Amino acid sequence: MFAEKACNLIKELSRCEEVLPPYHTELVKEVCTEIKQLHEQNKEDGAIVANESSIAGYANALYPTLRIGSSAVKRNVRCLLAYHYNRLKTLRTMRWEFGSILPQDIKTNLSSDEIEWFTKYSRSFAKYMTSIGENGLNLCLDLRPPKSLYIEVKCLMDYGKFELSDGTILLLKKDSRHYLPRSECEELITQGVFQHIV
Amino acid sequence: MLSTTSYQPNYFSIDDILATQERTPCKFLQNAPRMGKLNPSTDEKDLKAGTELELPLWLVLDASAGRQMIVAPELPKIYREAYREILKADATAVDLHKFNLYFYELGSYVKYFDRREDVHNILLHTFITRFRFIMDLANNADSDPTVQNRLDMLERRLFKSGHIARTKLNTWLLDSGAPLKAANMVTNHRKRKRVDDDLFA
Amino acid sequence: MDEIDIESAINDVDIDNDEEVQLSLPEIIQLMEENWLNEKFSPEVLPNRMDIVELLLDQITTLENNLKKLSNADFKKGLYQMEVDRIRFLISSYLRKRLEKIETYSTVILEQEKSRVQQGSETYLSQNELEFAQEYDQSIREHFESIMRFCPGITETQLINPNLHTMVFLKSKEDIEGIVIDDGNDENDLIDLNKGSQVLISYKSVNNFVKSGNVHLI
Repeated sequence: MFAEKACNLIKELSRCEEVLPPYHTELVKEVCTEIKQLHEQNKEDGAIVANESSIAGYANALYPTLRIGSSAVKRNVRCLLAYHYNRLKTLRTMRWEFGSILPQDIKTNLSSDEIEWFTKYSRSFAKYMTSIGENGLNLCLDLRPPKSLYIEVKCLMDYGKFELSDGTILLLKKDSRHYLPRSECEELITQGVFQHIV
Repeated sequence: MLSTTSYQPNYFSIDDILATQERTPCKFLQNAPRMGKLNPSTDEKDLKAGTELELPLWLVLDASAGRQMIVAPELPKIYREAYREILKADATAVDLHKFNLYFYELGSYVKYFDRREDVHNILLHTFITRFRFIMDLANNADSDPTVQNRLDMLERRLFKSGHIARTKLNTWLLDSGAPLKAANMVTNHRKRKRVDDDLFA
Repeated sequence: MDEIDIESAINDVDIDNDEEVQLSLPEIIQLMEENWLNEKFSPEVLPNRMDIVELLLDQITTLENNLKKLSNADFKKGLYQMEVDRIRFLISSYLRKRLEKIETYSTVILEQEKSRVQQGSETYLSQNELEFAQEYDQSIREHFESIMRFCPGITETQLINPNLHTMVFLKSKEDIEGIVIDDGNDENDLIDLNKGSQVLISYKSVNNFVKSGNVHLI
């Protein structure tokens, strides 16, 4: 069946929610080959239909074949683009959640075009955030309405030094507990360094 | 991601692509040279008019569109009379997942293959009848988790968001505030890494 | 909180009042909350209210500067800090919601903005959002072009449009007569809304009233 491989690309994505599977270079290449072959064949058939038909194109014997062929190209392209588009959407969310630097093992799952896109997106997004108001606004913070000023957090890893906005320096060690202003630790909670203790 | 907008299939929608991959019966109205390979039960090079086949919905939709139809589409059996009767009798008792993973989405495409509005009506009836049942499921956190397996994809999405809303309401009522959490992707990344580390340790 | 004088800031701000207006901070916050909810629940991106956002951001800066002068032991400090955090959440959530829609519908939104400029009507995006939208849209297009480079001559893309038939809850701020109900068929049923009434209705029937502020989404 046509476009079976292209659909497998989509199935690969649908199996993993919120995790980006490795970029499937081989399968993408195979889909491209199928598209190219179909496209060439359609061009040939199209030329014949155009030349032969005395009355109208659809009376030609090859007309049904051409219709099916171009439908197959359309389907393949849709799957191929949707595969890439949905990967970019996930990457975009990663920018919001991980920040501008991706963990190495995620980076290895990306194509070079994707890495380039991430850099571009990251730059536009940062530029936009700095443009808000006089001093800029970090949109990756304040994800939930505040309930209390201070919260208790547990540090999940040896993070090292962490400076508070009033200049105090904390040494964050694994399993150490801290009582801190919510606004100061939200980013580290999002990144999984702190765990919020309730 | 856009949780507040109603569902609408778009060009890049994964669910829509998978739903249109489902096979639908159809009959060829014209000869299609070189298309014999679409029919796995023959080695012939050409596909003859009159051949009946099951093809993916995307192809059936395209080939039956317009004034010059290449194929005549037919209703998949789960939308035919016999199955409609089952749904009419008691829609909540049906394992919709077994009917089709994309029962409603597929249905809203193929309902046009039937000139009467029977399929349209049964889709509506099924949804309305099962909706209350899904609400109940979502509200009862303790209900048997396997009942979820009997829902189609749309219903699962409803169940999931209903369930999340219920849990949020409970946390709010009890603790007046949910703890701040690590981002979903970060958590998943951690989990996966832990598995990897265990494997290669 | 104290009544604050924002006369100078309000000069180029149109708050449906020809006389000079003095809004108190709570009033501005309420206005922000309303616009935040509208943006949160409407399927399409709405005309931006960067005027309110900027007013509030200025207020935050002033408040935070004043807070620094208070001693840590002063319990008022905590309360004010909480208020600042709450406002900041409101603003960022509002801007995030807009950005999400701008990204998803970038191509369609950019086209609409272009025709708004041509017609000489007010644009919906702020200048900065517009720049972001253009960069984003172009980055996606370039990515697709790079994928399709292997086979020139195929151009397949389809736009993503917001679903304007999305159902929304709304509360009416005024008496409105004769809203045409959009229910997918040709019959034009009408409904009237009384001030303060709440209904569930298709967004398409009321989008103009949302934009003009006669109703707000809840």
